Amino acid sequence: MVKKRVKVKKDFKQIPACEGYIVVDPKKCCGCQTCMMACSLVHEGKINTKLARIQVIQNPYGHYPDDIDVQQCRQCVFPACFAACPVPEAFFIDTENGNVTRIDKSTCIGCQLCITACPFTPSRIVWNFEEGVAQKCDLCVDTPYWSEKGGPDGKQACVEVCPMEAIKLTKEIPTQIGDLGYKINLRGEGWPLDKE
Amino acid sequence: MTGGFTGKILRLNLTEHTTSTINTSKYEEYGGGIGIGTAIFWDLVKDKTIDAFDPRNVITIIGSPLSGTLGLSAAGRVEVNGIGPQAYPIGWFTRSNFGGRFGAELKYAGWDGVVIEGKSDSPVWVKIVNDGVTFEDASGLWGLDAWATQEKIWEEVSGGLGYGEWLQLGPGRDVGRTTQRPSVLCIGQMGEVQARDLGCLIHDAGNAAAQGGFGAVWGSKNLKAISVTGTGSIEIADPQALMEARLWAKQFAPRPEEPSIPGPTHFDLQACRTGDAFGGKRRKAARPQACMGCQFACRRRQDTGEGNESICVEAYYYNDWVRKKYGKLNEETNKACDLVQKYGANVYPIREAIRYLEALNEMGVLGPGKAIDTDLPFDELGSVTFVEVLLEKIVKGDDIGLDLRDGLVRAAKKWGRLEEDLKSGLLAFPYWGFPEHGYDGRGSIEWGYGSIISDRDMNEHGINSAVFWYPSRYMESGQLTVPLEEVVEIWAEKLIPFERDPYMLDYSTENMYSEHIAKLVAWQRYYSRFWKQGIGYCDWAFPDFANNYAPNNRGMSPEAEPKFYNAVTGKNISYRDGMEIGRKVWNIQNAIWALQGRHRDMVKFADYYYEQPLKGPYPAPVFVDGKWSYADVSGRSIDRDKFEGWKTKYYQLEGWDTETGWPTRSTLEALGLEKVADELESKDKLGT
Repeated sequence: MVKKRVKVKKDFKQIPACEGYIVVDPKKCCGCQTCMMACSLVHEGKINTKLARIQVIQNPYGHYPDDIDVQQCRQCVFPACFAACPVPEAFFIDTENGNVTRIDKSTCIGCQLCITACPFTPSRIVWNFEEGVAQKCDLCVDTPYWSEKGGPDGKQACVEVCPMEAIKLTKEIPTQIGDLGYKINLRGEGWPLDKE
Repeated sequence: MTGGFTGKILRLNLTEHTTSTINTSKYEEYGGGIGIGTAIFWDLVKDKTIDAFDPRNVITIIGSPLSGTLGLSAAGRVEVNGIGPQAYPIGWFTRSNFGGRFGAELKYAGWDGVVIEGKSDSPVWVKIVNDGVTFEDASGLWGLDAWATQEKIWEEVSGGLGYGEWLQLGPGRDVGRTTQRPSVLCIGQMGEVQARDLGCLIHDAGNAAAQGGFGAVWGSKNLKAISVTGTGSIEIADPQALMEARLWAKQFAPRPEEPSIPGPTHFDLQACRTGDAFGGKRRKAARPQACMGCQFACRRRQDTGEGNESICVEAYYYNDWVRKKYGKLNEETNKACDLVQKYGANVYPIREAIRYLEALNEMGVLGPGKAIDTDLPFDELGSVTFVEVLLEKIVKGDDIGLDLRDGLVRAAKKWGRLEEDLKSGLLAFPYWGFPEHGYDGRGSIEWGYGSIISDRDMNEHGINSAVFWYPSRYMESGQLTVPLEEVVEIWAEKLIPFERDPYMLDYSTENMYSEHIAKLVAWQRYYSRFWKQGIGYCDWAFPDFANNYAPNNRGMSPEAEPKFYNAVTGKNISYRDGMEIGRKVWNIQNAIWALQGRHRDMVKFADYYYEQPLKGPYPAPVFVDGKWSYADVSGRSIDRDKFEGWKTKYYQLEGWDTETGWPTRSTLEALGLEKVADELESKDKLGT
């Protein structure tokens, strides 16, 4: 893996935007958590939904559509996690894989500043308490337990396993205002339930 | 330790409020779920004749290696075993099962299952946070319905912080975090008052271990709830193979936006496609909802929050009465559905209770000042008020409510009507004091025979996709997406270990007492005791034999079952190997029933199965005059003598004593169950 170093303070505005973004349709999600299980399986080789880089949060007694929300990493154009990391080697923009913001776990010192810096709730940076490091969605660039190529030009485990096809990869930068660009309607004409 | 398992089963002593650990490896040979639960029960309950409410009754709640993994439609299912109070005349050692996410969360917490012993002096709930287990005072929960109980526990576990952010489960950097609400299994009011056939275990909104009366057993033990939160990892033997298996399975299911094409599979009954027939008042503003790791999403959550996670009988049991009162289906039926979930009430006896009580009221024998005195508001029948009043009477013990707490069969006996009403079928309880499920055993013979040869309404659907639902749709539409001959050919090929006997699917009156049907019933016992209730493959998804969505109409069974299992565990067992383990578990169960007092002379349906004709139309596959067809088999009843002959054939097939129905030493020893044979012999219950 070749790392392209981008210094934070002077060159922050020069971070190239990611070439792929996970978008979800929370209204289509069935809450099966298969995406969460698949995420940890392909990355860590074991299953732990609390290590998943996508989180489905649900209330069994909730009123649709507020009973479920899907929280994925937004591959922010201005990644606060990247900016917060005090270790030059730990966060990097992987220019060989579509500019995905990634964490090098071998150099992460586990300070958790990136977790705090993520402006979204829950933080999209996941604390891997088993290894004492932070981890985040890498669009499945580094999946030692899955033979498919990942990254913006490849496949993502969550997208592939979702039985409702409620998770997609898009190449266009989503609208960065609120959830508008990241939580979209993926229900087509054939969807027999709520289409709106 | 086998991949998928954690190696530890939590043992709760409610009497002492202490915990200990059982090594899963000691019981691994029995598979998981029902197998491990049955084997643990055998070891821990020395006197198997005890009553269900005896504190010495042990309840096991066991997952499988696939709990919490990508095992298709298996991640969420959990088996419950123990002596249940519902069955009549003897509360058999029995089983129930529920879905959702409890089994997964238990695994993430580091536990393969929970074993419950003893009785607490006061109401208690058990809080499991990874390997931290505490007994908490449930006095503030006792009296709450199942949903309110869970919400209160969620609040308690989060320390009032709510959910949606990462919740750290303790101090320090090594402690896990979660965004998820705890998975809670609890009882509602029905369990608290120990309603024999009504008390069930509820998890989230619509997952219920309903049959058997385990909720009542919890009530007798003063156990209100078990809450589990886990942040651990499940080791998978071959992660790549598991991911590939999951992606391979996609080809066997319709895509979510594809139109439904009825066929010989359950897969088109997903919430995406389900119409009103399979639920209550279905609303468009809804989502499909799935148990953990399932690709079929058979349930829904709706904008009203009503009917959440409910499908099947609990969702539609009240439909006909609502239509009768209001002229159309409305939201009252969803409210009635939620009531049974909240009270933690087994809907099958509730449905039959309403039918029965309505009939007795119309006959003039039940009502205010009548022979059976009650002020149930029959003018409200069809509104949720009626159901609420009925449930409250049972909880409070008001008028007939006290009788109904003992179960409808025992109530009918007290009212002096049992024999008469079982003879006429007015009380539609054909086997062991369990009500009709919806598949009449005179037509759906695998259902009837399988239920009476075991311990309860078996509630095992696998076969009935091909023998009931597919022909039912054919009778409505006149179209078969897969010709019946092809369905039979595919099934016959796949019914290991009895493959190549197509007459196992011949439900004609001429064949219904044959050895072919004995093999069908045996097949289902073995399959359920390992692959479904042991390893957790959902009853609504497996087996997948003939499937019109699949390449060449050939579904993913029997390849899928060992594919996921072996990828997770690292073992290399075959489907056939699993069936043999299932046979082993089935034999232990029959041994337990023998010790509980079973004899073949008791294995009899209610009289109406022998004396009343099956009402029709009732579809089933038949092979008549050299041809396969779906026919209407209504009008028949079960012939007493011929059924006794069938039982003999069945016992011979199983290697059991045909005089008693008890297992024999040779059969047990061949399965490695010498200790079971020894105990039967010591109690004069060993077959010869």
